[in-house]
Amino acid sequence: MSAVIKENAPNKTLVSLRGLNKHYGDFTAVDNLDLEIQDGEFLTFLGSSGSGKSTTLSMLAGFETPSSGEILVDGQSLVNVPPHKRDIGMVFQRYSLFPHLNVRDNIAFPLAIRKLSSAETKKRVDAMLKLVQLDPFAHRKPSQMSGGQQQRVAIARALVYEPRILLMDEPLGALDKKLREDLQDELRQLHRRLGITIVYVTHDQEEAMRLSQRIAIFSHGKIVGLGTGFDLYQNPPNAFVASFLGNSNFLRIKASSNGAGSFEGQQLAIRLTPGLAAEQQALIMVRPEKALALSAEQAAREPLPAGWNEVGATVGEVLFLGESQTCHVVTQGGTELTVKALSAAGMPMRPGEQVKVRWAVADACIYTEWAESDLSKSAGAH
Amino acid sequence: MLLSPNAMGRPLRTGLYVTTGVIAAFLLLPVVFIILLSFGSSQWLVFPPPGWTLKWYEQFFSNPEWMDAALASLKVAILTTVAAVALGLPTAFALVRGRFPGREMLYGLFTMPMIVPLVIIAVAVYALFLKLGYTGTLFAFVVSHVIVALPFTIISIINSLKLFDQSIEDAAVICGASRLQAIFKVTFPAIRPGMIAGGLFAFLVSWDEVVLSVMMASPDLQTLPVKMWTTLRQDLSPVIAVASTLLIGLSLLVMVIAAALRRRAENA
Repeated sequence: MSAVIKENAPNKTLVSLRGLNKHYGDFTAVDNLDLEIQDGEFLTFLGSSGSGKSTTLSMLAGFETPSSGEILVDGQSLVNVPPHKRDIGMVFQRYSLFPHLNVRDNIAFPLAIRKLSSAETKKRVDAMLKLVQLDPFAHRKPSQMSGGQQQRVAIARALVYEPRILLMDEPLGALDKKLREDLQDELRQLHRRLGITIVYVTHDQEEAMRLSQRIAIFSHGKIVGLGTGFDLYQNPPNAFVASFLGNSNFLRIKASSNGAGSFEGQQLAIRLTPGLAAEQQALIMVRPEKALALSAEQAAREPLPAGWNEVGATVGEVLFLGESQTCHVVTQGGTELTVKALSAAGMPMRPGEQVKVRWAVADACIYTEWAESDLSKSAGAH
Repeated sequence: MLLSPNAMGRPLRTGLYVTTGVIAAFLLLPVVFIILLSFGSSQWLVFPPPGWTLKWYEQFFSNPEWMDAALASLKVAILTTVAAVALGLPTAFALVRGRFPGREMLYGLFTMPMIVPLVIIAVAVYALFLKLGYTGTLFAFVVSHVIVALPFTIISIINSLKLFDQSIEDAAVICGASRLQAIFKVTFPAIRPGMIAGGLFAFLVSWDEVVLSVMMASPDLQTLPVKMWTTLRQDLSPVIAVASTLLIGLSLLVMVIAAALRRRAENA
């Protein structure tokens, strides 16, 4: 599961954010944030609007000054370096090309500012035009190009001066789905080819998963989850990440020992959890696709395998979603659960039927601390 | 969609065309009359003119008093334009980008000369310059014209600055340009249409300004509208029609240039 990261081993920290804070009056946009960004990695800041991800990116770029804390690149503090001297590349959501310059001059702008010779400038701009496959459009004005082409120009402009870090602030947000996926593929290839460190901001989970080696999940100015998309999804570090990433079922239990607990009066096996004491309230989290729903006959035919749990429930609704199907059920105690299965596997239930919901103990995460608001998001996401 | 000319039905549409025509005629007829009279041979501005002549133009261009006034007008208008843009540009930046208390009030203050009756401004400026001994100088003309021209320039630049996406300037900064370089190399070219429009407004305001100018004028220095005004009080000569025609002609020219520039900016 960490195969993606091992590719870049040995890892070397390029950027360190230490105790970073940003306050606007009483509002805390970024709250005592610590983060190490590895050299050459593709890291995504994922979060809803107002979670602090864009403010953190802005502080990295130098457009916002931290209220306190330190930003180090290669051990050197950046806090007092103005943005134009940071040698960082940035791609903005609305392309932000210079409207009065054609594509070639847009890409050449950073080199003109650096007073490179015209021969060197031409060489580098040509290489960039080739890289983003825009050679035939060199003399077009930005307004004569599509959104996807404009964003490719913006990427070329950000790379032409060979910065070590490329910041991308929701760069594909304004594009339609198909184009967005094409550009995501291009970006991934670009990253692999150039080995540049990319810090990417998005609120789109799928985009974050598709692009990044590591994801930092932001909430209320803090990073609440950091790791590969795979790890964060399969083993969310807390209930917030579990409900924020994808869909999730939460079952409230009272632990009876470290390996067992009672859910609505029924004994369930749970994963061994450090620090879990008897009589403690805890949450079981099961992904909808990790749970199975079996009709009464199916359940009678197939005995419960070892290491699995089973609870009884009544079917509320079955939805056909093309590739997959979901089945919403309610337990005797009123807990709502969702089970998801590939359509090919089939879920022949009807509303009102009694079913057994099963899951493997190993697939269920246990949380001992959470806020009720952490869970409410999952209700909205279903 | 009720008010779309295609959807409203024939009688209503005809009515609309006629009304529009009448209003246009009402607005344009005086201009047309003046232009025709400037070519008429009648000393007494008889209409329709009994014959056609260019002698009033000859008189205008051979009379140093008229020529001096026209030249003074041009000089004042150009200086006003330059000053209004030079002052309006930083003001617009402060009003759009600034985050300071009293910004709204300051905006109100800067645009107030559009609302305050011109006579009041004229009397105030006259009183001040009289005390300082500046009346009748080019400086007094330009300063007083800038007061009334500045709101137009500021509003025009503010509008284009508000439409300008500041992340474009930020992009220039992250590309290595200092903030000042970014403003000069990226922001100014992008808001150039607004700056030019603001300058042309200032030119037009100054070019046909008469109330302030009458106060500022001296026997040695007067603008074309002032010369027309004083001449008109003595006799009604067709040379005034010539001056009017030239006044209108240059204004029209400026407006055509403005329209052409706007079209070019939109197509860019």
